[in-house]
Amino acid sequence: MKAKIGLEIHVQLSEAGSKLFCDCDSEYRKYPPNRNVCPVCLGLPGALPVPSKRALTLALAAAKAFNCKIPERIVFTRKHYFYPDLPKNYQITQFEKVGGAPVCLGGYVEFLNTDTWEWVRVGIRRVNLEEDPGRTYYEGDILTSRYALVDFNRSGVPLLEIVTEPDVRSPREARLLVEYILLTLEYIGATNPRLEGVFRVDANVSVEGGERVEVKNIGSTLDVEKALKYEIGRQTMIVERGGKVERETRHWDAARGVTKPLRYKEEEAEYLYFPDPDLPPVRVTEDLLAEASKTASRSPKAIFETVRKLGVKREIAWSIVSSPPAADRFLEAVRLGGDPQVLARMVGVDYKGELRERGLDPNDPSRWPPAKTLTELAKLVSTGEYTYDSIKGLVLPRLAENPGVEVKAVLPEKVSDIDSLVEEVLKREVKAVRDYLSGKKKALNYLVGAVMRAARGRALDPREARKRLMERLESMKEPQGEG
Amino acid sequence: MRKLKTAYELVEAYRNGSLDPVEHAWRVIEEIGRWEGRVNAYITLEAPEAIIIQAEEARERYRRGEHRPLEGVLVAVKDNISTSFMPTTAASRMLEKYIPPFNATVVERLVRAGAIVVGKTNMDEFAMGSTSEFSAFGPVRNPWDLERVPGGSSGGSAACLAYGGCDLSLGSDTGGSIRLPAAYTATVGIKPTYGLVSRYGLIPYGNSLEQIGPMARSVKDAALLLEVIGGWDPRDSTSLRIDPPKLSNLEPLEPGEASLCVPREMVEGSEEPVAKVFWNLMGKLESEGFEVLEASLPEVSKALPAYYIIALAEAASNLARYDGGLYPREDVEAGDYWRHVAEARARGFGWEVKKRIVLGSYALSEGYRDEYYIAATKVRRLVRDAVLRLARKCIIASPAAPILPPRLGERITDPLLLYAMDVYTVVANLAGVPALAMPAGFSQGLPVGVQFMAYRLGEDLLVRLGLTVEEMTGLRGVAAGEG
Ligand SMILES: [Zn+2]
Repeated sequence: MKAKIGLEIHVQLSEAGSKLFCDCDSEYRKYPPNRNVCPVCLGLPGALPVPSKRALTLALAAAKAFNCKIPERIVFTRKHYFYPDLPKNYQITQFEKVGGAPVCLGGYVEFLNTDTWEWVRVGIRRVNLEEDPGRTYYEGDILTSRYALVDFNRSGVPLLEIVTEPDVRSPREARLLVEYILLTLEYIGATNPRLEGVFRVDANVSVEGGERVEVKNIGSTLDVEKALKYEIGRQTMIVERGGKVERETRHWDAARGVTKPLRYKEEEAEYLYFPDPDLPPVRVTEDLLAEASKTASRSPKAIFETVRKLGVKREIAWSIVSSPPAADRFLEAVRLGGDPQVLARMVGVDYKGELRERGLDPNDPSRWPPAKTLTELAKLVSTGEYTYDSIKGLVLPRLAENPGVEVKAVLPEKVSDIDSLVEEVLKREVKAVRDYLSGKKKALNYLVGAVMRAARGRALDPREARKRLMERLESMKEPQGEG
Repeated sequence: MRKLKTAYELVEAYRNGSLDPVEHAWRVIEEIGRWEGRVNAYITLEAPEAIIIQAEEARERYRRGEHRPLEGVLVAVKDNISTSFMPTTAASRMLEKYIPPFNATVVERLVRAGAIVVGKTNMDEFAMGSTSEFSAFGPVRNPWDLERVPGGSSGGSAACLAYGGCDLSLGSDTGGSIRLPAAYTATVGIKPTYGLVSRYGLIPYGNSLEQIGPMARSVKDAALLLEVIGGWDPRDSTSLRIDPPKLSNLEPLEPGEASLCVPREMVEGSEEPVAKVFWNLMGKLESEGFEVLEASLPEVSKALPAYYIIALAEAASNLARYDGGLYPREDVEAGDYWRHVAEARARGFGWEVKKRIVLGSYALSEGYRDEYYIAATKVRRLVRDAVLRLARKCIIASPAAPILPPRLGERITDPLLLYAMDVYTVVANLAGVPALAMPAGFSQGLPVGVQFMAYRLGEDLLVRLGLTVEEMTGLRGVAAGEG
């Protein structure tokens, strides 16, 4: 059944350096509880918020990346609700009504559907910048716990709320869209999507003939797809049985793979919104916009197109683009004179594969060798000095272990005495030689393998080995003892 | 009535060696001992030994010629201004044991200027009041007549000046909280231009309206103190990017340099004795050659309700943070979160505060916001524009308060009567312009104050007029009690 899906994506600007309104760290995970705090993010009376320019720039860069209409002034508002981990009992956000103005008043994003290789456009309703609250830990369950422990380390971390129009057509596309948005923010340098709890998705979903249901608390892109599939299935079943889908809010239970109704009825919310009198409107100056545009200049789409223009197959191109450090290294290595085809295979397929095999993060720049190293390797292949396979099999694994190492140090020794290797094998593998000579052509492959093994990790072009073997074997076929 | 040394005269005397800072400190400590039991101007007093140690350091600095602008001057600080070395309660049970981990910017500047903080002054709880009766620590009494109130909410800061329990003091003014007490105690107070003085560390009541300001026994003293505390503070986004004002060496204003105007609406509701003293002073100014014009500010009639709606809305928001969590109360039993919060707020806040939170929440709530909060912000713009227009032409003069200091209990039973005391003062807060209150004369032995308002950042003009008026009235350095 056809479904309409709209998403609300909350992403921390984990790379902003500071919290939104104070100097505490935006990457709070490394601190013991309540050690990444100050009077401002604890909301102590009299402490005042001062907007971080970096967070504003990153938020505006996101607005640029999502083709947004940006207001002349950004206005922060207060949203009131009582909760133990919200130290002021209001959150500073950017509610549009009552005089607030978010960083984005509407735009769109085009993401690549890598199943169909089509670019799909989804409307962005708005993007706003707000404070993340702290965290509450319960002993067991929220309803039965005798106490709650509150950690304010996260309190005040800049959070982007990205709200899409209900344009998303399927759970699969919802997942790809979220991945694309996160990748876009990663390119901007705003966030590291792989940090624990760095993003959260709420989804609004309805099927034909039913009301809109909100599914909250989806914590991974895989779960976006799973939760929506489950929810659409559930709603479809209700409609098909002649039932009615009621408007409600449900909770995604990732462990059990189901959406569950909230145990309590959400009351009509009364947030007492009004513009924060401690924060004068931020004028979006030409300078600020220029800096935001500069920050947003690297988009996955633009880079994908650049890579494609170099003649790289789309699957490999996307593999490169989906890891920003890979894309950086690739483009730089091409600029330094490396062959794009060789580099694309090396970066987008085999080196990335080596990292994955080791359980390492291909999006972590420190896992990648410098572009110069990649160019050197590509040149060795292009000039025929080494085969691609010997680089792939003998060099890339060692680079993945130690990306900083010099090419010289990992380059395998080349076999210089190929003839003696061939002789050694011919002498040892008497049966295979006899088979070949008696017409069993398959024996040749076995013999090539034996020569390669005899090289013991030194670089040897298997084609060269085959050629030499053939020559020797053919000479053995020649009539013997005529004279 | 008696005359005490002004802070300016003190510094002169210290400098030329005719007075010893330690001797003076003892004298002030004695005054406090004599009066404090009856007046209740202080919530927290520094230990005498600690004051004396600092006075000895001041003496040393004068001896070495290393004295700073307020070296050895005893300053009282209103108890809603954060001090890391003394509790800061805002006169509320809610913050009974709260010692901030930081100093307000103004306190930092005081200390750096060599001032000695004598204590934290009594006030209306969270600055909500006009009489200093709504304090969790008991009402403040007026040293000129102990049956009467000293005005509020900075009543303690005014009362300690009026009996000689400090040399200078800091107050805060949201709608007249510096100027009413100044008028009722024959002292001088300035509500600075919005943004001239940092609010960092001021426990907020109505953020968009209030300023910390100087209180003193002479105009020159108030100017000196404002010079020390004023100027841009990067911790307060609403502070203006300007250097500290130069105010302490100004000459009295001469006739012809500026004219005065008296808006009809800001005098006609005054009690007979107040109007008489006020017009008497205007007559003297005229006979000195100053032009005193009649004017009209019809917007004033709407100023009071607009002021209260905005102040209470902001207050309701600011006070949400006091939930018994970060500011725990021992008398609250453990219960579930909601019961805990409700009980903490029920026990921690006084009646007036609760009343204002309810009114403020009402003004911001869905369905009423447009009618109250939004409407008030529109009125505010009208008032501001009208005041700015008039202030371009003349210094706006009026009585500081429409009545003589009321007796304890006389006004607080009827909120409309209580709020009406602020009718002349709220105008400056709504418009963000500076206003000076100073003694105009006496009626039946009770002080009557005059208020002057100027254009934004026109503090220099107000100080110069104040010097002129002070020469005419001779009311410089006056204090209650027998000389
Ligand atoms: Zn902080």
